[in-house]
Amino acid sequence: MRIELALFASLEPYLPEGESASGRRTRMIDLPGGITVGEVVARLGLPDQPRVCFIDGRGVREDAVLTDGVRLAIFPPVAGG
Amino acid sequence: MGSLLRVDMACLTVKKEPVPAGWAKYAGRALTDAIIFAEVPPKADPLGPANKLVLAPGLFGGTPAPNGGRLSIGAKSPLTGGIKESNVGGQFAHSAAKAGLAAIIIEGRPADPKALYALDIDAQGNGMLNRVDDLAGLGNYETAEKLHAMKGDDKLVTVTNGPAGEMLMKAAGIAVSDPHGYPNRFAGRGGLGAVMGSKGLKAITIPLGIESLPHADKEAFTAAVRKFANALKEHPVSGQGLPTYGTNVLANIINEAGGYPTRNFSEGRFEGVEKISGETMREITLERGGNVKHGCHTGCVIQCSRYYVHPDGSYWTKGSEYESVWALGADCGIDDMDGIAELDRKCGDLGLDTIEMGNVIAVYMESGKAEFGDVQGALAALEECAKGTETGRILGDGAEATGMAFGVERIPVVKHQAMPAYDPRPIQGIGVTYATSTQGADHTAGYSITANVLGVGGTVDPLKPLGQAELSKNLQIATAMLDSFGLCIFVAFPVLDIPAAFEAIYEMATAHTGDPWDADALMKLGRETIAFERLFNESAGFTAADDRLPAWMLTEKLPPHNSVFTVTDAELDSVHDFVAETAAEMGISKP
Repeated sequence: MRIELALFASLEPYLPEGESASGRRTRMIDLPGGITVGEVVARLGLPDQPRVCFIDGRGVREDAVLTDGVRLAIFPPVAGG
Repeated sequence: MGSLLRVDMACLTVKKEPVPAGWAKYAGRALTDAIIFAEVPPKADPLGPANKLVLAPGLFGGTPAPNGGRLSIGAKSPLTGGIKESNVGGQFAHSAAKAGLAAIIIEGRPADPKALYALDIDAQGNGMLNRVDDLAGLGNYETAEKLHAMKGDDKLVTVTNGPAGEMLMKAAGIAVSDPHGYPNRFAGRGGLGAVMGSKGLKAITIPLGIESLPHADKEAFTAAVRKFANALKEHPVSGQGLPTYGTNVLANIINEAGGYPTRNFSEGRFEGVEKISGETMREITLERGGNVKHGCHTGCVIQCSRYYVHPDGSYWTKGSEYESVWALGADCGIDDMDGIAELDRKCGDLGLDTIEMGNVIAVYMESGKAEFGDVQGALAALEECAKGTETGRILGDGAEATGMAFGVERIPVVKHQAMPAYDPRPIQGIGVTYATSTQGADHTAGYSITANVLGVGGTVDPLKPLGQAELSKNLQIATAMLDSFGLCIFVAFPVLDIPAAFEAIYEMATAHTGDPWDADALMKLGRETIAFERLFNESAGFTAADDRLPAWMLTEKLPPHNSVFTVTDAELDSVHDFVAETAAEMGISKP
């Protein structure tokens, strides 16, 4: 299956090579069906620290299972206001 | 405990007096509230002589407590019609506290309506009013420069009022100088610049001050400071995210969550967000040789401030904050970072609140008077304010005045104050804060974005009503406490996640004052602060009907989640269920 991956702020350097999707900080990536967010995190080698993950704009835990065509966005801990 | 400096603008006298007994634990927001509660009639005309402008450093003002140099400025708000506390960084709070001042009270009004004064305070906290009629109409930047020249003091700390405040515009804020002397930190919200203008006060000056205040137990204070600073540096938000990218690091994540209000709250995602995100702003600033990390006041260890610079590297404006970039950017459909910087600079120089003015311009654009995305149209609107034209005076009175004058139905305000950079339909916890805050639509009053989006302090599903009222209530109480200590709201991120950070607050307070503080006392202070505010607002005429979002947010679906606000009225009314009991314990009922 194919999904859109977006990595922001300090996670941007972990973006894999590949075709950009809807912006500079996104890639289209191919993944096996049934893979979880946590397994994608491990594949990307993201640092071992808290993260905030979204699938199609909904906050998810890392055991959430990805499906074809979704957008996965991952942020390091950020805040402001 | 410091003194009150009472400045009578009618008699042109300045005198020191002791802080009344019973207020010993009050500083910052709690003290501005206590003074306004005791001295300002709730029905007073906000721009009349009975209103008072109060400036108070927090309890940690004048000490090395990390991030403890925030200033509370309070009054009855001409925008909301209720009590107002606008919180600002910059150098003034530490300097006032070092000069021995717990609060400065500006009251009355000069007999000559054209007279303009500066309140010059010396290092011992004595004040003198001096005529500065030649500063009339000058922007904040030129005013600050002239004050530095007049005093011959490079390190002079200034509080200044721009032309918008002089013209009594309800969106006018008050500028405080930062560590480099730029008048770029703002008590922006609620029209406090108009109150300052109504008093004929153009500026306040004070020497920077060097000596920190003594502590009851220096050794214990130093240990607690170290504990607090370590927690701030350890937490990834305050230790990494904020210092690296500044507050605008939020743009992408709030956009991702579908809560980034776009084109006057008609959509929850902005297609141009990448061009105005914190990541992009950092890249532009570094390319141009700008500063990407400093504190807005001495003693800040988070360092989220930065300077946005012209292509030649010269200072343009403070590295626009998340709220300003959103308001003058996405909410107006503008994706041009330099254009946003110019709008931010112009608001700063005129002394206009960027959150209110972004909403004003967005509503104005929706009326058809300008096009969404048009930087020049937005600048022209601000120019109307600068000139004080009929249109400019409407715009300068805020988003509600603008919407009513130009026939726009979608006006995003609560208690007449425009909403900040989070749509309350897909982020319902912040909607509870907007609706119920004593301050009008104010994100800082109870920053539910923490658990709703950022995964800080737990998790509450932002799209559902469950748990939002309780979340907002606890954050509103905690924030009132932080504001009273003069602590930056950003310490809340580590405080919510690291127990040692919370402990360090009362350990610093105990060691500094010699009075016993503990966890319960901290939250009691927060509840008492809000009790002052709720009772004042009730007497000013507010009812439960004012604790509501605009009706269209309950029916108009916001893409991409097609959400509406679903927290019930009963849940909203539960947020302040503690006030009656707290007021009874305090022995107060009405102002």
